[in-house]
Amino acid sequence: MSSRTTASGWLRGTTIRKGGASSSSNSTRHTTPQVQSTSSTIFGGGVKDPSGRTSEYFSMDDQCPVCKSDRYLNPKLRLLVSACYHKMCESCIDRLFTLGPAPCPICNKILRKLAFTPQTFEDLGVEKEVAVRRRIAKDFNKHREDFPDLRSYNDYLEEVEDITFNLINDIDIPETEARIAQYKIENAAVIELNAQRDEQYAQYLKEQEEADRLEREHRASELRRLEQEEQDEKEQSRQAIIDKLETSDKDAIKLVARSRAEALKRASAKTTTPAFQSSSRLLRSRAAQSTVIPDVPHVPLQDDWYAYEDMFTMRSNYDDPISEAVRKDREGIMRAGGYVVEEAWERALRSAVAGLDIPPLQGIRSADPEVLQETNTAVAAVS
Amino acid sequence: MTAAVSTPGASSSTVEKVPLYQGSTQYRHWRFSPEELVHTRVSLNAAAVRVIKDAFEADSLGSSTAVAFLDANEENLLVKLYIGKVSQLCGHFRFPEEVEATAVSYLKRFYLKNTVMDWHPKNVMLTALFLATKTTNHPISLEAYAHHIPKTAPSDVLELEFLVAQSLGFDFAIWHAHKALWGIWLDIQTLPDIRMDELRDAYDVALKHVRESRLTDAELIYTPSQIALTCFSLASPSLASAWVRSKHTPPASPPTPTSPPTPTSPSPIPETDILELIEPIKSMILQYGTMPDVEAVREVDRRLRLCKNPEKIVGSNAYNRKLEAKERKAAEKRARKAALARKAMEEGDPFGDTIGPQDLDDDDDDDDD
Repeated sequence: MSSRTTASGWLRGTTIRKGGASSSSNSTRHTTPQVQSTSSTIFGGGVKDPSGRTSEYFSMDDQCPVCKSDRYLNPKLRLLVSACYHKMCESCIDRLFTLGPAPCPICNKILRKLAFTPQTFEDLGVEKEVAVRRRIAKDFNKHREDFPDLRSYNDYLEEVEDITFNLINDIDIPETEARIAQYKIENAAVIELNAQRDEQYAQYLKEQEEADRLEREHRASELRRLEQEEQDEKEQSRQAIIDKLETSDKDAIKLVARSRAEALKRASAKTTTPAFQSSSRLLRSRAAQSTVIPDVPHVPLQDDWYAYEDMFTMRSNYDDPISEAVRKDREGIMRAGGYVVEEAWERALRSAVAGLDIPPLQGIRSADPEVLQETNTAVAAVS
Repeated sequence: MTAAVSTPGASSSTVEKVPLYQGSTQYRHWRFSPEELVHTRVSLNAAAVRVIKDAFEADSLGSSTAVAFLDANEENLLVKLYIGKVSQLCGHFRFPEEVEATAVSYLKRFYLKNTVMDWHPKNVMLTALFLATKTTNHPISLEAYAHHIPKTAPSDVLELEFLVAQSLGFDFAIWHAHKALWGIWLDIQTLPDIRMDELRDAYDVALKHVRESRLTDAELIYTPSQIALTCFSLASPSLASAWVRSKHTPPASPPTPTSPPTPTSPSPIPETDILELIEPIKSMILQYGTMPDVEAVREVDRRLRLCKNPEKIVGSNAYNRKLEAKERKAAEKRARKAALARKAMEEGDPFGDTIGPQDLDDDDDDDDD
């Protein structure tokens, strides 16, 4: 069924809700996280992600605990959460609270219409905890630097955690509220200062992000431009070769070879300095952002081999029938694994001069007994 | 190829660098003097003959007197024939030169640790070649490989594989003369006034000589670059000496400041010495670089059939005896284990009691021989 309806729905351009309407009762987890933007509604609150949108929790199994209407009967059902963390649907809220504050139908706490918020988390306990922590963090915003030693900072953190825990689990609410009020009065100046500081830091981060984004965009456009230039150049040189071949009476192979060499020179001439610069700037700004110590590359082995570098000099090209097939391979099929003919040449050259002046051994030496012994015993064990 | 060598030293640049070839296993484990080669082969042969004689005598008294055992030279002759067979097989499978050269080296090295009378080169050759295809990154499926070789099952190839690898000491990387020859061909083009057609002819002839050199012991005595130079010198002495001269006059470009201190243990020998050094290789290639006479080898092979190690021939008395001994040992071990387990069960704890030194009997499975 689903494939057909999906197809037709897709053709009509309507939105298809995924997630089985059929899988009822037991688990909402699998069918759930449908996310809707509610930025246009009058209800504020809820938990916002960094981008500023509120993601609203939505499930196929939603049912209003007050009027018992569910999503099956009312597809537009929208459940909101009260200040006492009880869910009810929009129509119930309208019905009960339009005429002013009224008791919650579940716990009898006096509620107001505007205090209802959209639900973000499936578990209302989490919803509550997030809200409480947000409220607490607003006032209890001291940093490590505000304390003389680590001990007192830790005490402070513990106190904050205590208060939070009490609020979340409804333990000694009046007393806890009194503690908060007390703290607020005592630390009004510090709280204000820290709030400003945090705001500044957030602003700074935002700017940083913006700068990074601009940098990236700039680099991408630069890259596109270079690519385009290269393409043009290639096309031009190709045209030039064709023109030359038409007009000149010189040897065709020579002409092609020369223009190819020129192209190679041009390509090597414009090494990418701008890209390097920009990336280094990016790195600098990153370093300013974080105090992380730069990661020094770890070199596990030191390369103390003498590779006969002074015994030969590589030429850029050789007359070489052995590697001709690879070099002629335009599509690069044979070079797919990263084969570079220069490396093969270098290896061959190295091999040609390696140990050229090592005189052969003479006579019978007793050296290497352990190696021979090892192998002999190993072989004996098998046979 | 250049795996762990005796302490190449710390990171400081003042440390004397080890040349790459001197770090290779080929230099460290598989470099011999001619005398050593002879000595190794003769002593291996003598030891094998002794063992086999004992086996014959154990079978029936006095039966070994009539047997004409192979000597070291005859063994070598047989190996040489099968080196030629490797080339034929490689031509048939269209394997690249590297595979062929590697397989040949494996075969030669194997028979410096084992004797023909224990392991017939006919079988070892197939395994060595199969192993070489894998170590040189030209793999072929075992089924396809065995399918194209008459009277060979995949298991025949695999049976010996570990033995061969072990005999090689797992030194699979090999420096080849043909690669060095390629390097000479490339490098000689940097010399002034080189006529390409002359060079091309010389290279073709030299490559032929490199292939001949595989039939000799040259690679066990000399370095691949020396062999390649020899072959080139055989093809064109003038070009070869010009190249050697260019290697031993100071290079035209000023040496870079980072150039390493001259590391070779002996100071670089002048060109004349190198040319002298390769003289014996020349004669070696010219003298031994031919396929052995098939008739003579056939005679050797016929005798080998009579003097093979009876413990390695399936169905022979000695083989059966050895098998029996092995089984008896295994059965004993099993019985001992069962008894221990039963005892433990009766005592109530199925896992035995405390771990202690009460059973120090060796329960390893590799204690035959």
